[in-house]
Amino acid sequence: MISLKNITKFYKTKQGRHYIFDNVSIDLPTDINIGILGPNGAGKSTLVKMIGGADLPNKGEITTDKRISWPLGLQGGLQGSMSGRENVRFVARIHGYKNTTIIEDQVEAFAELGKFYNEPVKTYSSGMRSRITFGLTMAFDFNFDVLLIDELNAVGDANFKKKSEQILVEKYKQTKIIMVNHSLTELRRFCTAGLVLKNQNLIFYPDIEDAIEDYQVTYVK
Amino acid sequence: MIVDSHPQTRTPFRIMLDSIHALMLRETKTRFGANKLGYFWAVVEPMSQAAIMALLFTLLGRESIGGISIAMFLFVGILPYKLFAKLLPQLSASVSSNKQLFGYRQVSPIDPVFTRLFIEVVTFTVVYLLIMTGMGWLGTDSIPHDFPKLIAAIILLLILSLGLGLILCVATSYWEDTPKILGMVMTPMFFISGVFYCATMIPIQVLPYLTWNPIFHILELSRDAYFNTYTTPVGEWGYASLISFGFLAIGLVMFNANKQRFITL
Repeated sequence: MISLKNITKFYKTKQGRHYIFDNVSIDLPTDINIGILGPNGAGKSTLVKMIGGADLPNKGEITTDKRISWPLGLQGGLQGSMSGRENVRFVARIHGYKNTTIIEDQVEAFAELGKFYNEPVKTYSSGMRSRITFGLTMAFDFNFDVLLIDELNAVGDANFKKKSEQILVEKYKQTKIIMVNHSLTELRRFCTAGLVLKNQNLIFYPDIEDAIEDYQVTYVK
Repeated sequence: MIVDSHPQTRTPFRIMLDSIHALMLRETKTRFGANKLGYFWAVVEPMSQAAIMALLFTLLGRESIGGISIAMFLFVGILPYKLFAKLLPQLSASVSSNKQLFGYRQVSPIDPVFTRLFIEVVTFTVVYLLIMTGMGWLGTDSIPHDFPKLIAAIILLLILSLGLGLILCVATSYWEDTPKILGMVMTPMFFISGVFYCATMIPIQVLPYLTWNPIFHILELSRDAYFNTYTTPVGEWGYASLISFGFLAIGLVMFNANKQRFITL
C-alpha cells in the first residue's frame, strides 16, 4: 500500500502558483500494476517522482512499507562527461556495492552499446541513454517491490522495446509496476488498474478499461 | 540478473559513507580526469601561485622577517588562505552542481559538501607537504615549531570555511548570483587577511580595523605555531573558535532547514 495523505503540489511560475495536486488523499494498492493517465503537463512525472522520493510534495506526505524504485527513465542522474560504465559504477557504489564489476557487465550486456559504453554519456543519443537507465534499474530491481516507470519506451527502437518489455513481463511476476505511458496498448498490456489525473486530483479505477474511458471522455476531443 | 552479495541492510552512516565515496570518485574523475595529468595540475597550480608570490615578495621586500625566511613566512600564510579561498566557491556550488543526483534517495545534499571538503583538504595537505619538503631540501628549517597548534589553526579554518560554505549553499539556492558577490568580497579579503604581512608589520592604530577578521586571526595563529621566533600580538584562539563554531552552527541549521528544498529544487 502506498498512501498519499493530503498531498498538495505546486510549481512557482511567473504568474503565481501552478497547482498540480490540491489536497489529494488516496491509497494505492501495491499488489496490482497501475497505469497513470493524463495529458501532457498534468503532473504524471511529478507524481511518479514523488512516489519514488525524487521529489517532495509541498504539503502532505507519502508513506509506504514497500520498497519503491526510483523513477525508471530518470535520466538526470547520468553525468555527461563520464562514460556509461562510470555512471553505472557510480550508481552501484551509492547502493553499497564494493565490487561493481558484476553490475557493470550486466548493464553492458543489456544496453548493447558496444564501444559507446566506454564513451562519455554526452555523446549518446536519447535512446542510448534510456538503454543505460533501464539496464541500471534492471540490475537492482531484485530489491524493489514496486517499479516506477516513466515513459520508458518513448525513445527506444524496436529491438530495445522488445527486450525491455520481455524483461518487464518476466519481472512483474514478483515486482509490481506503476507506469506512465501514452500508448494505450501498452497500458492495457501491462496494467490491471488505472489512475487518472483530473482537476488537480487523482481518481483510481480498479479496471484499466474504466480509467481509459474516463481519460478519453475527459481529454480526447 | 539477480545479484547476490548485495549489502541488504546499511546503517544511515554507512549509506552516507558509500555515497561520499562514490561522489568522490565521480568528482575527481570529472574534475581531474580529463587527462592523465589532471591531478598533477590540481597540485601544481596552487604550488606555482604560492611560489610566484613568494618570489615576488622576496624580490620586493626584505630578506627575512624576524629571522624567518621571507618565502617560509609567505607560504605559511598563502597556503591556508588559498585553501579558504578555494573552499568557499567550491562548497557554495556543491549543492547546485549535484542536484540531479538527489534523485537517488541514497544521496543526501550534505554528501557533496563533505566530498568537496575532503578533496580540497587532501589536495591542500599534498601541496603543503610538497612545498615544505621542498623548502627543507633547499636548506631552510621548515619543521613546524608547534605541530599540534598548527593543526588546530587549520582545523579552525576548515570549520569556518564549512560554516560559511553551508550558508553560501543556502544563499545560492535562493539567489543564483551569490557566487558573483562572493568573488567581489574575496578580492579585498586577500588584502585584509594578513596573507603577505603579519600583525607586527602593521601600525598599531590600524590593527583594530583588521582584528575583526577571523581569517587574519587564524593565519596569525598558524604563523605563531609554525615559527618559534614569531609571537602574534593579535591572534586569539578564543575569538577565532567562537566565530568559526558560530558560523558552523548557523550554517548547519540553515542547511538543515533547507534540505527538502535542495532535493526538489
